[in-house]
Amino acid sequence: MEIRQENGVEEHDLTQHYEVLQELGDCYTSVGNGIEAQRCYEKAASLGPDEPGPYVGLGVVALRKNLLDDAEIAFRVACRLDLNCDEAYAGLAMVAQQRDDYKQAFQLYLKCLELDTDNLTALLGLFQTSCQMGSFAEVIHYLEVYLNMHPGDASVMFSLAALYMKDGRFEQSRKILLDVLTLDPANKDAANLLEEVEHSLAQTKQS
Amino acid sequence: MVDSPEMAENYETKLGPMVSVLIPTFNRPRYLSEALASVLYQSYRNLQVIVINDGGEDVSDVVNSFGDPRIVFISNKENRGKAFSLNKALTRAEGKYITYLDDDDLYYPNHIETLVNALENETNCQVAYSDLYKSYCRIMPDSSRQVLSKVVEVSRDFDRFFMLYFNHALHVSLMHHRDLLEKTGPYNEELNILIDWDMTRRLAFFSDFYHVCEITGEFYSPVGESDRISVQRRKDKNEYLRNVLTIRTTRPAKPWTKIEDMSIIFIADLLNQEAGKTLGLIWRHTFYPYKIYLPLPQADFNRIDTDMPNITLVPVNPLSSRVEKIDAALARCEGEYVVIVPSGFPIEEMWVEDPLYALINSSVSRQGFELEGSRDTCWAAVVRKGDLRFARGRFPNLPVRESLKAAGIVLRHLCPEEIPFQFDSLLKEAQTAEKDGNWAKAARMFEHIANHHQNELWMKTLAAKASYKAGDLNKALKLSSEVNQQRPTVNTLLLEARVNREKKNFSLAIELLEKAEQILGDPIQKIRNSKFRVGSQEGQELLWK
Repeated sequence: MEIRQENGVEEHDLTQHYEVLQELGDCYTSVGNGIEAQRCYEKAASLGPDEPGPYVGLGVVALRKNLLDDAEIAFRVACRLDLNCDEAYAGLAMVAQQRDDYKQAFQLYLKCLELDTDNLTALLGLFQTSCQMGSFAEVIHYLEVYLNMHPGDASVMFSLAALYMKDGRFEQSRKILLDVLTLDPANKDAANLLEEVEHSLAQTKQS
Repeated sequence: MVDSPEMAENYETKLGPMVSVLIPTFNRPRYLSEALASVLYQSYRNLQVIVINDGGEDVSDVVNSFGDPRIVFISNKENRGKAFSLNKALTRAEGKYITYLDDDDLYYPNHIETLVNALENETNCQVAYSDLYKSYCRIMPDSSRQVLSKVVEVSRDFDRFFMLYFNHALHVSLMHHRDLLEKTGPYNEELNILIDWDMTRRLAFFSDFYHVCEITGEFYSPVGESDRISVQRRKDKNEYLRNVLTIRTTRPAKPWTKIEDMSIIFIADLLNQEAGKTLGLIWRHTFYPYKIYLPLPQADFNRIDTDMPNITLVPVNPLSSRVEKIDAALARCEGEYVVIVPSGFPIEEMWVEDPLYALINSSVSRQGFELEGSRDTCWAAVVRKGDLRFARGRFPNLPVRESLKAAGIVLRHLCPEEIPFQFDSLLKEAQTAEKDGNWAKAARMFEHIANHHQNELWMKTLAAKASYKAGDLNKALKLSSEVNQQRPTVNTLLLEARVNREKKNFSLAIELLEKAEQILGDPIQKIRNSKFRVGSQEGQELLWK
């Protein structure tokens, strides 16, 4: 053992207060307490001025209050602080979607998924906007990638089955819906869609 | 007003014994005000608060602004250093107990009450210490502190052997009987850093330390370049080493009640370069208190030219054999333990402390240890003085090693489980696993240490974090929850909250995080709102209850 001098400072030692406030803000957001969430995110932003997290949180709070301009500003700040902040792009996409700008929303969801193929918000947002716009090819690809990594995610499986059906790929749709019902036999949406798919399949065979 | 001896006695009985709080200060008036407030708003009232301005900018306004008659203010005309200031303050101290606070640190309102209660009611130790948060902060343009984190960096149960090696009790968290200073002597004014360790080390010669596992205050560590004088001075490695060696070779006046002395008999046929080098290595690498006995012909005494302390020259006949030299030195040895070491013996860290620790803790009598590196031509060992004298008395004509054997004293080598600092070795191994990202191994090791090597809360905290990183959420939850039930810290609250959040238990996560946020908040605001603050009606009532 040698004579020791100073212990090094761990990175966590400089971010702990920020982490507590960010976590607390996220918890308040989860339970729908926007006022407290906003207070926490604002304090977190002052402690971690270079961190995008609090601005994403502030954007989500604003979005829930339907303050789209405030939300956009917050998400843009987060993007500026971290060009690879997938959550900020998802937030901006949601703002665009709320404004019925589906094309912009679609592009932003795609950008988000490029940064994080796991981002479920973006995946489902992409599904919604593609349904609204009627273009499915790209979103089908992302949902397939996601399901390869997270097999058994019933909500994504259902979305993919719906897209396959809209794209005329009934057999693939039927197969996935059967898997969903194996996982969750009580899933009424899946059962209804399966009925619809099987009806379409029968019609296709007849013709 | 206390105006008769009987009344004074009643007053003391009701309030508890007086505690003298020593606050040296130098050029930090803003923080001094907060530090002083944290003392004056203590729940424990019977205080003498001694503020010593060590030649820095005038702080009399700060001190006077409190208008508290318990304050004694001393001002040095010039900057003489912390040790000088503390010694000066000690000449004025009247309390049964002494405690310390730096001018930029804070006590929580229960700090003094907790330690007095421990010393009066829970232990026979004459020294107690608690845990403190190390508060990392950013200094803002208006010189206020923005807290970035509060971490319990050290929460170590008392370990005398380790205390001799290095400090593990924070000075600011220490309280001791004032009487003990008569035995330890005053603060060493020759030191310019580590003066606190010098004192805690000397206190350990006379008392065990009682560890109160509660967090009762905080000390600050600004990020970036620290303005702390002690931190600046530690950067000079030579100066640092000089201070460390001065401390390690300090021997308070005897009798020592808690440490047994060690005598090193150094055998050199010639006072040559090799002998000088070996002595130098002993000086550098020995931390257990020792005195060296150097048997030499009288004519060689004036050839000794060294700054090395604690050397006793033993006159011997120039024609004396090695055995005769050892016998001559042994007759003078004060220590309970005797080490025999020849010139040229390989001296490294722990060279003598490893076997000495085994000997001290061995329940087997009549045994000694040969040192690592000992061989027939360069023999070195540590034994009890009584055993060695017995062997030499019975078999004076045999060589030392043979006389010990003949007297039935077994000389052996160490087993790995006998070496000291097992806790530290395991901790280091676990931390290496952490650094390598082997979180599961680290978690297992921290838990093992918690169960077998004291320091339970500290180790459980580390085990909880490692378990979380290893993905074992249930274990992380169990461990962090156990710690939080006994002594919540920001880190363990944050961890328990994270696991609960991941389990979608948001209300409990919020409760835990709010507690953490409260701890991270401004302590001065809390102290100022305390019911014990001076001038408050409740405070006055409590004072006289």
